[in-house]
Amino acid sequence: MRDVAIVAFAQSAHRRRTDELSELDLVMPVLHEVLGATGLRANAIGFTCSGSADYLAGRAFSFTMALDGVGAHPPISESHVEMDGAWALYEAWVKIRTGEADTALVYAYGKSSPGRVRDVLTRQLDPYYLAPLWPDSVALAALQAQALIDSGETDEGTLAEIGARSRTAAVDNPYAQLTGDVPAGDHLVHPLRTGDCPPIGDGAAAVVLAAGDTARALCERPAWIRGIDHRIEAHSLGVRDLTDSPSARLAAEHAGAFERPVDTAELHAPFTSQEVVLRKALGLGDEVRVNPSGGALAANPIMAAGLIRLGEAAARIHRGESDRALAHATSGPCLQQNLVAVLEGESAHE
Amino acid sequence: MPDVLSAPLVVEFPFTRSLGPVQSAFLTGLRERTVLGVRTDAGTVLVPPVEYDPVTAGELRDLVEVAPTGTVTTWAWNPTPRRDQPLDTPFAWVLVRLDGAGTALLHALDAPGPDAVRTGMRVRIRWAATRTGAITDIACFEPYDGEPGPTEPAPCTGEFADPVTGIAAPARLDYVHTPGRAQSAYIKALEERRTVGERCPACRKVYVPPRGACPTCGVATAEQVEVGPRGTVTTFCVVNIKAKNLDIEVPYVYAHIALDGADLALHGRIAGLPYDQVRMGLRVEPVWTEGARHVDHYRPTGEPDADYDTYKELV
Repeated sequence: MRDVAIVAFAQSAHRRRTDELSELDLVMPVLHEVLGATGLRANAIGFTCSGSADYLAGRAFSFTMALDGVGAHPPISESHVEMDGAWALYEAWVKIRTGEADTALVYAYGKSSPGRVRDVLTRQLDPYYLAPLWPDSVALAALQAQALIDSGETDEGTLAEIGARSRTAAVDNPYAQLTGDVPAGDHLVHPLRTGDCPPIGDGAAAVVLAAGDTARALCERPAWIRGIDHRIEAHSLGVRDLTDSPSARLAAEHAGAFERPVDTAELHAPFTSQEVVLRKALGLGDEVRVNPSGGALAANPIMAAGLIRLGEAAARIHRGESDRALAHATSGPCLQQNLVAVLEGESAHE
Repeated sequence: MPDVLSAPLVVEFPFTRSLGPVQSAFLTGLRERTVLGVRTDAGTVLVPPVEYDPVTAGELRDLVEVAPTGTVTTWAWNPTPRRDQPLDTPFAWVLVRLDGAGTALLHALDAPGPDAVRTGMRVRIRWAATRTGAITDIACFEPYDGEPGPTEPAPCTGEFADPVTGIAAPARLDYVHTPGRAQSAYIKALEERRTVGERCPACRKVYVPPRGACPTCGVATAEQVEVGPRGTVTTFCVVNIKAKNLDIEVPYVYAHIALDGADLALHGRIAGLPYDQVRMGLRVEPVWTEGARHVDHYRPTGEPDADYDTYKELV
């Protein structure tokens, strides 16, 4: 089957509020930028796939409105996932691998500012045993963090260092929302402090995928997807060992992440404690640059933040700053679902 | 007035969900102050129980009864409870492994403060005064220093009189909606009883209501164009079923109306003539009511019908 690469990546500046922008207004400049980078026109794209969630802004079928920004009429070959855009990328990758398209446009957006995102995210939980209790996203992450502290795998000081390292790295990321010297803050839900939690904000991102020689024509140094896989944990939190992520490990194994070391990893860990889990599951040592973009602790536009990890990893390969990178995306409470991709620049083999 | 409008938006879902046999037994059991688990193929007792084995996907039906007492496996102190959470005073979220169970249940723990909570502490269920067969029949957990329950769960048929077969799961989310630039401009013009669309800079089509981009060209529309007020019925339907909370007598006609100058038809109700005389090509004009922010309906202008060729692209 054909090789597939990420050939372009663009993202919006991520901000706490974007009242003046509809979701379409948020996503359209990013689409134009990513298409402009490849010189492709929208009607030359073989397949378009997006990821978003209408619950965030409380606006039904917002994804169909966002399609106006693509130029979707006359009808294009198109799909949507009510998930992070990383899973839209996976669907597009399958389309290209199976020969149904040569190029794909993948985009994602999240506009969390109109609602109360901690409450909104409770609606994705088991409706019988969990959703009636309204356990918010920070509370569930805090249960996982406490389990890690109890098992001796981390402590509040180590978690604070992860937050500080991420926001310091994000100083060089012009799109990041929360950068520089951010105080650890008060406990939001003990043991997580405000500094352990991601900023809430609005943002969008897009990538272009292409196959084989098309990728080489569109990009000087394509970021080849050597492997990509996604896996899920059992649904009930009480069934899981919250200090580990077997699904992330399995996805990484299937993506070929353990065949050779990576130099860079972009992890989608919205909470500091989740980086601890992922480093362990993915076997990332201190020699790996983790989240040079600042990661989700610096900007976490929900539904786009996972796709951004793939885009950031690819962009580093495009720029020659990485030869082999791991990109990870997550969805659901406490790292419920995990997607891992391994990206390479061509010189890594030659 | 700011350029961008905003308004409160409440989204409420009165979900009703049916239950499988295991969930039904568990939730009915809670109503009867009894906690049930289910034994997996490997022998683990899952509490709360599920219908299918999380490891083998096999159907699970081997119900057992576990104790209302248990041990905290992890916790998180919630200093500021949010609306609809189990307690309205500060509490701990806890995962609790009930005595006899192999897995943990998520709920709230009523405790005086974070210093009073630790992993490994013993707790028991505080039952809700009114129980309906829902996870909220457990009001919360509370600290417990009595004897532990049996480590071996007791066999149980899971059969109760009047079993719960479904749950009502109301959900309310509050938003502040902002429609963005294009729709804000459209809505503000309506206040002056004007209909304003936007023209695509590439294909020159005028979209009403504007959504901010041309779906054919995929570019932003910015040039504002006033259209109408008159227009042409491009197609219509006769509504025979009265909508809830809508004070309009049936039958009435709902139509697509291409306002003069617009390249997209919008929707509106047609009145001012018998419903069976509405036709494609009928020329109409808007009727506004005092204080309303939108057209109430459209009525005939009395002009001759439009020629089909003038609106066929918009049907």
